[in-house]
Amino acid sequence: MSSVNGVVPTTIIVAGLALAAYALLMTALNRRMDIGLLAALGVLEILLLVLVGLIVAKLAGGGRPASLATLIGYLIAMPLVPVAAAFWGLLERSRWGSAVVAVAGLVAAVLMVRLHEIWPVIHV
Amino acid sequence: MSEPPASPGQAASPEPAASPPDSTRTGPGRVLIAIYALFALSASARAAVQIATKFSHAPVAYLLSALAAVIYILATVTLAVGTPAARRIAVLSCSVELVGVLAVGTWSLADQATFPDATVWSGYGSGYGFVPLVLPVLGLLWLRRLSKRARTQETVVTSAGDANEAARSKSALRAQVSFGRY
Repeated sequence: MSSVNGVVPTTIIVAGLALAAYALLMTALNRRMDIGLLAALGVLEILLLVLVGLIVAKLAGGGRPASLATLIGYLIAMPLVPVAAAFWGLLERSRWGSAVVAVAGLVAAVLMVRLHEIWPVIHV
Repeated sequence: MSEPPASPGQAASPEPAASPPDSTRTGPGRVLIAIYALFALSASARAAVQIATKFSHAPVAYLLSALAAVIYILATVTLAVGTPAARRIAVLSCSVELVGVLAVGTWSLADQATFPDATVWSGYGSGYGFVPLVLPVLGLLWLRRLSKRARTQETVVTSAGDANEAARSKSALRAQVSFGRY
């Protein structure tokens, strides 16, 4: 069975970690969440949606992971991470809004590793 | 967008916070609630899948996963609500969480036969980067700092002479506290 292209998950890990580093820098500099962090969250969101599309295509092609329920849960929850972080971070009028974005970046990276464990055809 | 146009009233305020600085859901609490919500979601989804599809495989582990999920949900909601009653429940759920992760962590290492599959708290949360071990400690520290801050403000208010003086020193203290800590 062919595997899901590893470029997208790898890009998400790199992007997530870079976003986390940038957001932590903003936190350290006492800067609240701004348009730059919001745009970066948007990029992460697009990447996650592309990955969801690739995985759905793989499922449509007849592939099945060991736990389909878990994978579907991930497909639903994954794109919600940047959206939830954007709302929750914008509500905060201090540096801690930026810290929320850092958490979202780290979570996106960790989710890629988990996805590979759930369904090894999703390469990292 | 990083700096809002300053109105005359806001200029003196060191922090443009809409909510009072002693709220559980502002400042570091904002991050804490985000992480708690993440664990509430993942622990409950995981427990639901485990119990629904393969409960007999590791019943103890899966029931403990479900218990952890309930405690994470309780902590998330009570920290977000932040009323005095909710704070007491938050202290309780963070304490139960800390005891739980220590007890289940030890139990999972001592008696591996009972845990053929992992829970959130197995090996002191090692499968989750030990975040489950750190989270209740941070939660309790945050709640303690807020209650200390509230007590300090009360003392200032009651010891001050007239009402104006009390209001002034209270806001001065609050500004000091929020300036120093955010």
